[in-house]
Amino acid sequence: MSNLLSAKNLTKIYGQEPNQTIALDGVSINIKKGEFVAIVGPSGSGKSTLMHILGCLDKPTNGQYIFGGKEVSQLSDSELAKIRNEEIGFVFQFFNLLPRTSALKNAELPLVYSNTPKNKRTAIATKLLEKVGLGDKLNSTGAELSGGQQQRVAIARALVNDPSVIFADEPTGNLDSKSSAQIMEIFKKLNREDRTIVIITHERDIALNAKRIITTHDGKIISDKKVR
Amino acid sequence: MDQFEILNSAIVAIRTNKLRSGLTALGIVIGVASVILLISIGSGLRNYITGQFEQLGSNLLFVIPGQIGAGGRGPGGATINKLTTKHVERIKREVKDLDGVVPTMQQFTTIKYRNLTLENVTIVGSTEEFAQVVNRPVTSGEFFDKSQAQSGKKVAAVGKTIVDELFQGENPIAKKIDIKGQKYTVVGTLKEQGSTFGFDQDNTVVIPFIAAQKQFGTTQVNNIYAKAENQESVARVRGEIETALLKDLEEEDFSVMTAEQTLSTIQGILGAISVSLAGIAAISLLVGGIGVSNIMLVSVTERTREIGLRKAVGARSTDILSQFLTEAVALTVLGGIIGLILASVATLIIARFIPATITVWSIIISFGFSTLVGVVFGVAPAIRAARLEPIVALRHE
Repeated sequence: MSNLLSAKNLTKIYGQEPNQTIALDGVSINIKKGEFVAIVGPSGSGKSTLMHILGCLDKPTNGQYIFGGKEVSQLSDSELAKIRNEEIGFVFQFFNLLPRTSALKNAELPLVYSNTPKNKRTAIATKLLEKVGLGDKLNSTGAELSGGQQQRVAIARALVNDPSVIFADEPTGNLDSKSSAQIMEIFKKLNREDRTIVIITHERDIALNAKRIITTHDGKIISDKKVR
Repeated sequence: MDQFEILNSAIVAIRTNKLRSGLTALGIVIGVASVILLISIGSGLRNYITGQFEQLGSNLLFVIPGQIGAGGRGPGGATINKLTTKHVERIKREVKDLDGVVPTMQQFTTIKYRNLTLENVTIVGSTEEFAQVVNRPVTSGEFFDKSQAQSGKKVAAVGKTIVDELFQGENPIAKKIDIKGQKYTVVGTLKEQGSTFGFDQDNTVVIPFIAAQKQFGTTQVNNIYAKAENQESVARVRGEIETALLKDLEEEDFSVMTAEQTLSTIQGILGAISVSLAGIAAISLLVGGIGVSNIMLVSVTERTREIGLRKAVGARSTDILSQFLTEAVALTVLGGIIGLILASVATLIIARFIPATITVWSIIISFGFSTLVGVVFGVAPAIRAARLEPIVALRHE
């Protein structure tokens, strides 16, 4: 099977000499459709920077990155926005729900930017909120939901545009162990449905839910192995 | 992103910070309300004055002492009034196509009827053609005739205010009023005219010119009114009056004005005043706009994470730009609507005292201005929001 995304020799350097920080130092990685990858490493190891580049939120300083057959460094900002909108779903550590906005409206957000008609938006978002177990919380705002519930809204939001891949940046970093387990169950279930998932985490037991674990250290990949 | 969603998110954002939005919009409210109000007063006055002059008729010309225009000392002012009845006679003799010419003399005094007195009444001394020349017909009785005028008989035509306040509904015809000890018989009542700048035109008594001369001990003529036969002859009549008067007067001793000319002069002055007042009011709109800009910048900073998230899920820079621009415009248009309502209420109240009308123009201007202010002052914060990198915005704590 062909690669969904393929990165070669990615480097990312922040700042100017002599105060440069090398966040990524020649990273190469291929991910195929249907994989469940965990990227682990201590803080400062470059795992978040790697995810931002793979998620088309940022561009590498050097190196080649091909996503869905397109060379990302050649794309304009609005083409990148389109890829993020249609091909990628994000789940963040701090949930990042819009305040004072219902779960339904939050989940609909990516569809608003893909110009999906309102009735269709509502139908898709409702279906996905039901799928993550929040069918009875459609009109609750972030403040009325627990951390685990908020993260489930964020997962529904990441799924509404039926993306090729979901990137989750420390998705359980702000949750208790019970909620963390529930969230990981959802990711595993999505992966069983052939959804590609990439998780960033520094917790070993969370990473063990994945099928492949990539370890980074000082901006380099130091190990890459299948675990299941 | 469709327009409805953009507007919806703007409304949510405005409602989220009600107090802050309200205070920001207040600057626009005050600006728009004062601009509209001043335009209303200005246009109300213009309409009113135009109406007053149309009552006089466009065929009317008047001669006033002194010269108006460049280097002139202004009417009445420092000039010595050299107009006399001799000039009235000369105009009558030498100017063709006249439909009447009358001298007028004005004094303010107290008049009495039985035990009632009325102060500050305008006593106008004129001749029998007065009613016809200045277009003020009598509504009951008769205006004094030529023989009464020439003999200086003590007769009077009275305005509506006199009838109402001095006679209190009693029929005034053939009653005697007392003007500074002299008894005048009322022969007619004059058509109602209303007031100009709070000056009651109906608080007037017209008496024969000769009687007025004796009464007030002066031969001076304040104004000469002449009526041309038709509108086409107004310009020629004006020239002929000037020629006639120049025989023994200097150019700076008098001015011949036409109703239309005077109207356009007054309208010009009023126009300039209302434009400059509205201009000053527009400064407050500018200050309001700066307030909008300021609050939008704060809002962009506060919502950096929201902007980052929106970009991460697919918002393009133009989506973010239009979102924040719409928010600023919604805020100013809201201020514009409240300002318009306030100005309309204020206009209704003010209209009891001075003429004022809300015009379609002022409504267009208020919406146009508030939208413009929103765009102009919202664009900088919106660009700042649109330029945020998704990754920087997401990291923002």
